[in-house]
Amino acid sequence: MNIEQLQLKNYRNYEMLDISFNDRLNVIIGENAQGKTNLMEAIYVLAFSKSHRTPREKELVQWEREYAKIEGRITKRNQTIPLEVMLSAKGKKAKLNRVEQRKLSNYIGALNVVMFAPEHLSLVKGPPQTRRRFIDMELGQIQPTYIYHLGQYQKVLKQRNHLLKQLQRRQIQDKTMLAVLTDQLIQHASLLLERRFVFLDLLRQWTTPVHHSISHGTERLEIRYAPTIEVSESANKEKIESMYTTKFHELQKKEIERGTTLIGPHRDDMTFYVNRKNVQTYGSQGQQRTVALSVKLAEIDLIQSEVGEYPVLLLDDVLSELDDQRQSHLLDTIKGKVQTFVSTTNINGIHHETLREAQLFRVENGTVDT
Amino acid sequence: MYYPEPISKLIDSFTKLPGIGPKTAVRLAFFVLNMKDDDVLDFAKSLVNAKRELTHCSTCGHITDQDPCAICQDTSRDGSIICVVQDPKDVIAMEKMKEFNGKYHVLHGAISPMDGIGPEDINVPDLISRLKDEEVEELVLATNPNIEGEATAMYISRLVKPSGIKTSRIAHGLPVGGDLEYADEVTLSKALEGRRDL
Ligand SMILES: Nc1ncnc2c1ncn2[C@@H]1O[C@H](COP(=O)(O)OP(=O)(O)OP(=O)(O)O)[C@@H](O)[C@H]1O
Ligand SMILES: [Mg+2]
Ligand SMILES: [Zn+2]
Repeated sequence: MNIEQLQLKNYRNYEMLDISFNDRLNVIIGENAQGKTNLMEAIYVLAFSKSHRTPREKELVQWEREYAKIEGRITKRNQTIPLEVMLSAKGKKAKLNRVEQRKLSNYIGALNVVMFAPEHLSLVKGPPQTRRRFIDMELGQIQPTYIYHLGQYQKVLKQRNHLLKQLQRRQIQDKTMLAVLTDQLIQHASLLLERRFVFLDLLRQWTTPVHHSISHGTERLEIRYAPTIEVSESANKEKIESMYTTKFHELQKKEIERGTTLIGPHRDDMTFYVNRKNVQTYGSQGQQRTVALSVKLAEIDLIQSEVGEYPVLLLDDVLSELDDQRQSHLLDTIKGKVQTFVSTTNINGIHHETLREAQLFRVENGTVDT
Repeated sequence: MYYPEPISKLIDSFTKLPGIGPKTAVRLAFFVLNMKDDDVLDFAKSLVNAKRELTHCSTCGHITDQDPCAICQDTSRDGSIICVVQDPKDVIAMEKMKEFNGKYHVLHGAISPMDGIGPEDINVPDLISRLKDEEVEELVLATNPNIEGEATAMYISRLVKPSGIKTSRIAHGLPVGGDLEYADEVTLSKALEGRRDL
């Protein structure tokens, strides 16, 4: 799939923008603070209806303006699809084929995007939520109902944590409602965990060979998922449910003491091992980067295999962070098949033949020259 | 902008209604100015009377102008089955489809710890005493199909389990996460057919 056209209104430092893109490589060049990341972010928001940089949607609306609007025209399976995301103080609206979608899970997935920015290099060494967020976003875009269930899970979790606080402070004594919310949480938790296990399997399948190749066959990558219950990844939903039930039962007293939910998918993590050593603890910076890059590259093929179309790739400021060898591995992988947006302050840092077919966009203070 | 005080007061009143923003309020206020005197008077009376004459039924919690309400008083209805809903509007939606011949219990909300709403804050204690006083065999739990409605149904079901009263939940066919009042009559009656045991 690819983005043909993008229109912005009051989005960050873009007051008004209307541009068309090349269906292969688009290089966005500009000095610092001119709007390169903002442009990439707009494409990301068009795909997910939320930003990769901030949870506060207000920041995306141009200062002193009431609303921001992002419109895009994408092509997918030879069809043209209009998308629109509108952000204002009243909330956001997402339109697919000009029809407003009230459920996010009906909107997300129309446009698949893989974004790779410097902060993604910390996938390995960052805190666990970086990795959970990665799983949730990637799983969500190939399986939009996952987002719906994740939302349900988070709502129950919030209710349950409030109830645990009330029990902790002895504002209530009766534990019937706790039992209800525990059951409810387990239902959603098991569903999420079962789907994460399936996703992990796919991720391994696609990442391991990429990693093997980038490391010239010298390194063997292993991805492990660390759930908060002891359960095999081949377990079905019923098995997972019964494991959660047992564990929640054991933990009840402790949870009330602490006033919060202690286990569940919101506390799980994922660890990477290279040649049997934990990369987070023992890996060199280069090894950590290679893992992050492999996972990102694998995502491109994973989405293609699950969705049937390549995603759009956004490389924000990241090419210059990679050495020549990793750079060309990346560019070779996408060559000729993935619509790609690359942002950089200096095009001289990129040496690759694909540059010849690239279209250049110069960004200056919220305007774009082609 | 400056409006004479009587109009700006009217505008203020309209903005208190759900779904009415400042612009619509202005439009409505000026519309009222052009209405016939009698119509305006009727309108004002209806507003006051609706509020003054309607109370909640002391048995089921439904809105009514007589206590107990007409449904609770109706001896042709089956008192052995009670449909538990969150809102008086849900009773009206169920009544419209004319499929259910039992009685109702209106909770006026759902249990939500994060909003500080526990079982005692909604009409649950009244429901429990009704189950003791009346000959009830089945509860149909028709709370909203969202997280809080679902949890409320599960809670009530746990509570009455020892008494041997059968509980069932209607959820099929209802828009997930939506409110019962928006369900059309066809989906509602399908939902009632497909109620499942809890
Ligand atoms: N809501 C907003 N309204 C107006 N301008 C904004 C808003 N949010 C951010 N900006 C401006 O956008 C600019 C930052 O743009 P962006 O992050 O895209 O820079 P960049 O070109 O990616 O720079 P770098 O090369 O440093 O990454 C800043 O000048 C900032 O003041
Ligand atoms: Mg930037
Ligand atoms: Zn009544």
